[in-house]
Amino acid sequence: MRPGLYLHVPFCSAICPYCDFAVTTGRREKRRSFAETLAAELRLWGESAARFGGAFDTIYFGGGTPSALEIEGLKSVVDAARQALPIAGDAWISLEVNPEDVSIETTKAWRGLGVRTVSLGLQSFEDSELKFLGRRHRRDEAEQAILRARDAGFDIVSVDLIFGLPGQSLESWTANLRRAVELGVDHVSCYQLTVHEGTAFARFQKAGRLVQMPDGEQGELFVATRGVLEDAGFVGYEVSNFARTDGHRSRHNEKYWRHVPYLGVGPSAHSFDGRHRWWNERELTEWTHRVERGERPIAGDETLSGAELALEAVMLQLRTSEGLDLTDLQRRTGIDVVKKNQALIERYRAAGMAQLDADRLILTPRGLAITDAIARALVLD
Amino acid sequence: MENIRNFCIVAHIDHGKSTLADRLIEACGAVTQREMKDQILDSMDIERERGITIKSNTVTLQYKALDGQEYQLNLIDTPGHVDFSHEVRRSLMACEGAILIVDASQGVEAQTVANLYLALENDLDILTVVNKIDLPAADVERVQEEIDSELGLDPFEIVPCSAKKGIGIVDVLEGVVKKLSGPTTNEGAPMRALIFDAQYDSYRGVVLLVRVFDGELKPKQSIELMHSDKVYDIEEVGLLKLKREKMDRLGPGSVGYVIAGIKTIRDIEIGDTITDAEHPAPEPLPGYQPAKPVVFSSIYPMSSNEYEDLTRAMEKLALNDASLTYEKDSSVALGFGFRCGFLGLLHLDVVQERLQREYDMSLILSAPSVLYHVFLHDGEKVDVDNPAYFPDPSSIARVAEPFIKAQIIIPEEYVGPVMELCRENRADETDFHYLSPGRVEIRSQMPLAEVLFDFYDRLKGLTRGYGSFDYDLIDYRHTDIVKVDILVNHEPVDALSQLIHRDKARNRALRYCEKLSETIPRQQFKIPIQGAIGGTIIARKTIGAFRKDVTAKCYGGDVSRKRKLLEKQKKGKAKMKIVGSVEIPQEAFVAVLRSDKQE
Repeated sequence: MRPGLYLHVPFCSAICPYCDFAVTTGRREKRRSFAETLAAELRLWGESAARFGGAFDTIYFGGGTPSALEIEGLKSVVDAARQALPIAGDAWISLEVNPEDVSIETTKAWRGLGVRTVSLGLQSFEDSELKFLGRRHRRDEAEQAILRARDAGFDIVSVDLIFGLPGQSLESWTANLRRAVELGVDHVSCYQLTVHEGTAFARFQKAGRLVQMPDGEQGELFVATRGVLEDAGFVGYEVSNFARTDGHRSRHNEKYWRHVPYLGVGPSAHSFDGRHRWWNERELTEWTHRVERGERPIAGDETLSGAELALEAVMLQLRTSEGLDLTDLQRRTGIDVVKKNQALIERYRAAGMAQLDADRLILTPRGLAITDAIARALVLD
Repeated sequence: MENIRNFCIVAHIDHGKSTLADRLIEACGAVTQREMKDQILDSMDIERERGITIKSNTVTLQYKALDGQEYQLNLIDTPGHVDFSHEVRRSLMACEGAILIVDASQGVEAQTVANLYLALENDLDILTVVNKIDLPAADVERVQEEIDSELGLDPFEIVPCSAKKGIGIVDVLEGVVKKLSGPTTNEGAPMRALIFDAQYDSYRGVVLLVRVFDGELKPKQSIELMHSDKVYDIEEVGLLKLKREKMDRLGPGSVGYVIAGIKTIRDIEIGDTITDAEHPAPEPLPGYQPAKPVVFSSIYPMSSNEYEDLTRAMEKLALNDASLTYEKDSSVALGFGFRCGFLGLLHLDVVQERLQREYDMSLILSAPSVLYHVFLHDGEKVDVDNPAYFPDPSSIARVAEPFIKAQIIIPEEYVGPVMELCRENRADETDFHYLSPGRVEIRSQMPLAEVLFDFYDRLKGLTRGYGSFDYDLIDYRHTDIVKVDILVNHEPVDALSQLIHRDKARNRALRYCEKLSETIPRQQFKIPIQGAIGGTIIARKTIGAFRKDVTAKCYGGDVSRKRKLLEKQKKGKAKMKIVGSVEIPQEAFVAVLRSDKQE
């Protein structure tokens, strides 16, 4: 696979209470100058592009809310990327957008820029849930955003949904999933609500105002998600990701799960060249200053040891429907996971949590629900 | 010699033994008011906190009596708990008389009786002191009746006092001088002295506390310890006057200390007889019995890398505690530790607390066990105190377990429940009789193993604290003992195995299984927790599998973070013990083994 390019846009109209990404609210002026700085960072990487091994064939705008950038800004960034880096002519461009930013004009402009996937930050079709999550749109806006996106002719219309809200019932969650299917989306990403340190939800939790759904119930919703979407013909190709057909998978995100190199630009963005990983300054101002001084805004880096590489490979690949490529792992790290864990793997199989096909270890939905525990057990124990 | 009095104070726990000792010391001017720390003789923290005496101490007092003569009073302090009756016996052997204290409100209790019997066995003169007469609840007349009817002592010979308020102290001292006999000796007999206690001094080594019966002890004398068959040269002798006071000799009838270059307390035996190596006595003093541990438990450090620390702590502790036996032990689940033998449950408690408090150790103790006699089909007899060494049941012809004679004194309204309690604890013969109106003594023969478990706590609970209890080991009796194993995921957890009567096995196993299922976190798979006798499962619980352990999002920036999280979670598990591929946190062992005493 060829490398991918990630562009982080940290702006949001408001900060959601569960979000721990590098985000900020910022006025229009700030956003304009941000696009320029992003373009400047891209140029700083020009001479090192070769280390990523070939032309970038995906461009992914994430955030934050990339749709918060005006079309001119987005265009200038794409242009800068094409000038500075080897970008494939047919590079697949994805854009995360908020439902309230989806209009006939914007969709048309994004299409014009070459965007092929729009990923809608919907989170729910329930007004009460949207309110709890601090989202600025409502059910009807969400539904309309999907329809507009479809009408605009994007190759893939994807939606993000969140489950495991306190008190959420199985019915309420599966109704959300069914609604997404009915509205004809091509791709669904389902995330369980996670309370991160430093977020508003973490403060609520400490104050006793928010009680997380117990693990057992979360596990039920997790397994039910697969049931509903696979019944509707979707392919569950990763722990949290479902595509209408294999052709509707996220081309960019699959690179992460396969250790394919990627370059990330923008505040907090991570990059990986196959052995080294580094990450940018998280704070917008610090990131801006460093880029403006003509420096690469790197805040930290690491070189992965064989063992670390192996742990990552196991924990990432087990998340996917292709499972863990045992031959590839042994070739890259010298670790024979099966030989080391024969009895354990047999127990996973007996418990209906995994299957072993030729040279791959593939988790079933029940196994996927505890992927992290399995990865730990296989590599670390 | 006629002006020497060797005596001890015996009493039921909490009847004021140490307080009276303090007042006697004070009254004889051995210590100034400023030096006076309450309960001088109880020097260990735990002793002071619990109000009990564990390690006996001894002091020599000079008393100018009302008859104008100077007396040397040797107060030999004795431990005040049934576990230490062995030490009490040795102390009594050094005396001619005993002060028996009876609490003016509590009256005669189980240990009052037991202590009196011990004193009488040793032919001691008794001075009965009724203490705490200042208390509003004091009822001296009633207590006098009890002394008459329950102890068979003359109720009009008592000395009333309040050690706390300092009332009647001179009367007590006069009683000691007048009512208790002085020592006697066999003129010209070879030297014999009793070692009734020993202390460890980090500069001088072992300090022997001795009572001289015949002859005398002097520096440079060569002495032989008759039972352990060792010879030493005396470096120093003297009196114990709170601090050691060097003398040039210890004559017949006197009590004092001997330093003879002995390195560790393990080299000597308390109760041994000292004689002159050049002119040895033909026979040692009578009444010697080696200290035998009756309760056994394995002690493990909470974290296996603290084993070295525990080793050092045990060594230091053992310097001062000749009764504690220990040897290296190891458990698959808990790593290295020590198999220890104790004189009783209180002794076990005291050792555990001292290790925790004085040496700052975090410990896990296995379920206490008694010593079983196991007779095999091939005629061999093996002694087993550790479930790990219990022979294969098919090779066992029969098993015998130690029985005690329990003596329980309670107000009459509790007879029913306490008889029932004895029955539940597999009592063999239980009967009762009235000591005096309203007060009943129950005598029961029951297995020591049951008493170890929770008998005393339940007795206290049933009788609202009024029940008192004492016991003596009597014999070994045939019994149906089985080894119960606890299996986690089909593998036995060695530290949780125990020997128990077949009738009680199922309940105990179930309780262990319940505790474990509550404390072991959910795992990737369902985990059976079972109690088993051999191949037969007698109890079962299940730990459910956890349902979810996966991070939702995992994209570019999440990969490092997530990897580090997994590594951190792994480190958190390093403290767990792996049995049957199940991670068992230390807390689970603590919870299970602690439940023994709390429930």
